[in-house]
Amino acid sequence: MMNKKADVLVIGAGLSGLMAAAKAVEQGKKVLLVAKGMGALGLSSGCIDLWGYDIDQPDQVCSRPLQEIDKLIQVNPHHPYARVRDVLEESLDFFRKICAENGSPYLENEGGNWLLPTALGTMRPTYLVPASMAVKSLEEADKILVVGFKGLKDFYPDVLVANLQRNAELKPSCKLEPVLVEVGSEELKPAALAHRLERGEIIDKIVQQVKPLLSPGAVVLFPPVLGSSGGAGMAGRLADELGCPVYEVSNIPPALPGDRLQKTLLHHLKTRGVEVIIGSTVTTAHLEGNRCVKVTVRCLSGTMTISARVFVLATGSFLGGGLEADIEGIKESIFNLPVQIGAEEWSVQEFLDLKGQPFNKFGIAVNDHLQPVDESGQVLVKNLMVTGANLAGCNYPIEKCGNGVALATGYKAGKLVEVVHGE
Amino acid sequence: MNKTNELALDNCIKCSICVTHCPVAKVTDKFAGPKQNGPDLERFRLEEPLAVHPSIEYCSNCKNCEVACPSGVSISTMNCRAKGEYVAKNGAPLRDRLLANVELMGDFARLMPGLVNWGGKVKLFRELAERIFNISADMTLPQYASKTFYELYRENKPPVSAKKVVYFPGCYVTYNTPEVGLALVKVMAHNGVEVLVEEFNCCGVPLIANGLLADAKNNARNNMRKLEKYIDAGYQIVTSCPSCNLALRREYGELFDMEKAHRLAEQVIDVFEYLQVLAENGELKTDFKHLSLTVGYHQPCHLKAVGCGVPSKGILDLVPGVEVNDLDAGCCGLSGSYGFKKEKYAISQEIGRQLFQAVKKKGLNRVITECGMCQLQIHHGTGAEVYHPIQVLAEAYGLGSDIK
Ligand SMILES: Cc1cc2nc3c(=O)[nH]c(=O)nc-3n(C[C@H](O)[C@H](O)[C@H](O)COP(=O)(O)OP(=O)(O)OC[C@H]3O[C@@H](n4cnc5c(N)ncnc54)[C@H](O)[C@@H]3O)c2cc1C
Ligand code: SF4
Ligand code: SF4
Repeated sequence: MMNKKADVLVIGAGLSGLMAAAKAVEQGKKVLLVAKGMGALGLSSGCIDLWGYDIDQPDQVCSRPLQEIDKLIQVNPHHPYARVRDVLEESLDFFRKICAENGSPYLENEGGNWLLPTALGTMRPTYLVPASMAVKSLEEADKILVVGFKGLKDFYPDVLVANLQRNAELKPSCKLEPVLVEVGSEELKPAALAHRLERGEIIDKIVQQVKPLLSPGAVVLFPPVLGSSGGAGMAGRLADELGCPVYEVSNIPPALPGDRLQKTLLHHLKTRGVEVIIGSTVTTAHLEGNRCVKVTVRCLSGTMTISARVFVLATGSFLGGGLEADIEGIKESIFNLPVQIGAEEWSVQEFLDLKGQPFNKFGIAVNDHLQPVDESGQVLVKNLMVTGANLAGCNYPIEKCGNGVALATGYKAGKLVEVVHGE
Repeated sequence: MNKTNELALDNCIKCSICVTHCPVAKVTDKFAGPKQNGPDLERFRLEEPLAVHPSIEYCSNCKNCEVACPSGVSISTMNCRAKGEYVAKNGAPLRDRLLANVELMGDFARLMPGLVNWGGKVKLFRELAERIFNISADMTLPQYASKTFYELYRENKPPVSAKKVVYFPGCYVTYNTPEVGLALVKVMAHNGVEVLVEEFNCCGVPLIANGLLADAKNNARNNMRKLEKYIDAGYQIVTSCPSCNLALRREYGELFDMEKAHRLAEQVIDVFEYLQVLAENGELKTDFKHLSLTVGYHQPCHLKAVGCGVPSKGILDLVPGVEVNDLDAGCCGLSGSYGFKKEKYAISQEIGRQLFQAVKKKGLNRVITECGMCQLQIHHGTGAEVYHPIQVLAEAYGLGSDIK
């Protein structure tokens, strides 16, 4: 059986694994990243949620997410953010830096949340967004034209228009109009459409059908198919051709912005010398005392082992495969770490009426070095750090913090590889 | 039902990540994509094996879908079987049979390589081949060597050593780039390892990709027969071609359920994985020359699918003066015989475009990649000189003179 060696083995190619690898390789470590598959990023909107709503008034979008997180940590010291508050700003800056360097800049809204239209015509708060999605001043638009494509499933401009009228604060005189453009295919897949746009084949067709519907002060919203790689190049090109601002709205999976972000970060890692193996599942951990020495990996073509000095467990929750539920209960799938079943309740009652699915709070408890701990706070595996959606204590769909937690915890794990190894 | 469970059909969460990652579905509407022919129709195939969408012929067998799937669904295995069912029922065009029968082509070319190579460059013949066989007149054909790898090996036998491995060269090395095989033999000998060879058959991947499963299984059986004694004696079986590696390690067990496939999988190893083990045991020679060589690196899709990472990376990092730039630009598009087919040539080139651009944008005129077909396609699309990483290593040891 083949054995591979690295300084740091990151398990998982979701946002938290990618961040951990990026930060670890920056410090000159030999980093190997292994993942079963692509994870939640390719399904997500590609936007980085940090904290969505006001803790005291959960129906209000919170205006200062970082300050709200300080408050959160007071009322819920078990939230993953409490473990990474010291590096939160730094991690966001690091993320933005590598995205920008790789041609896919992410924008911040002056320290506040963006409030962005979705394909369903709702407005969702989020913190960092790709340049192509950073819709500014919708409330000043005189006209909003929503463009869909004949044959593209899961994006219906008339639905967006009908709901947006209700959900967004618009000028009373603002006109909303849906349009379905025809680009000559009966069935369109998002990636194929993005490719044809990038090739310039259908831009004229789109412009011909859209331009006559525009009037001064118009804003045009598209489904998130404007190009298969990151960056606002395609949105910018359409904006030039149409003579007005053009944006992508977030859509249900498979949405391309999440896929673009994953590609961007993987590209960053590969060009920095991280060895990446996707399609291989880590099945077992081999411990000596309370240190992990190696793991067994099942690849498409057999099994191998990987030994490393430090391990990062970034395997996500149920969707990613990090946590598994069976008749005996819930377990963490590689190290068999104890999974907290959300016994910790919020100390501020009534916070978030929509308490969400309790299972989203299941997960692994960690200390400030992100090492897994048991109920008494004893470290279970010394050279292991746990990050992202498999951490206990957060309820991302309700709290709107999924990618924020993944990003910050991943970053911190990458930063601490030396410290944790020395312990 | 058992086999179905193994393929993890029920794990499919219908997320379509496989579709987003399919290089063919991205550039053409002609292919319904991995999800439809994979998990969606597999359910019907439990009852009716012929529930196959005819567009399955557009699947290039690159396996990107399966690598990307978050749920571990064996999508490409489903697609391979589906294509097999389809071809078994509807037959395959003569053209596909010819292109898939790499050995036959190789043996034919061997009779008069000069003539075949010349003919491959004459426009008139290529146009005839396009008209009669639907073989694209535009794709660069592989050049046949004047002697096969096996012939050259016999003329240059490596010194006997106690440490031995068996080499499975694969058709491309056998007929087209025997210099790669020779570089491998020399590098191993330099490290005190004697390389043994047998006249193996084609691994079967081109047949599998064309839906000719019965023929592929035949090849697999023949190879198994030749490999058996080595498996039993505990030899490691070294490959330089990622598709051969994948066939031996995975397809023989997964598609053909062959006895001993499991043990074979344990003993097959990429040549750079082997060298990596030597390096870890402090047994790799490091008497490298300084090379002053900047190259792009393309990771073949089938190497990604093998899941052993980029084994050449750790070794080439040791060679002074070699700078390797990971191109990370996706599938090359050729996928064996796929890009030679007239109706698929444009698709193949469109898939490869991103990779060609990456090479050109970085201003690279030398590229390394493990797969012979990727080598051909990158040369075709960029004009760059393309090598197997083992040729760079041979050069660094002062054993080769392939790198121009
Ligand atoms: C549909 C959907 C939409 C979402 N939208 C948003 C959004 O718009 N904004 C936002 O901020 N958050 C969103 N979230 C939440 C957010 O995406 C996740 O919380 C976050 O991305 C989790 O990242 P992760 O890296 O921890 O895990 P994941 O992205 O789930 O990654 C886990 C990785 O580990 C791998 N893995 C698992 N088990 C193994 C194993 N045994 N061996 C090897 N590898 C393994 C997986 O293959 C995968 O690569 C969304 C979530 C979902 C499901
Ligand atoms: S096969 Fe895998 S990637 Fe494709 S839809 Fe199903 S779960 Fe998603
Ligand atoms: S094997 Fe390649 S071409 Fe075939 S469906 Fe999968 S990704 Fe697409």
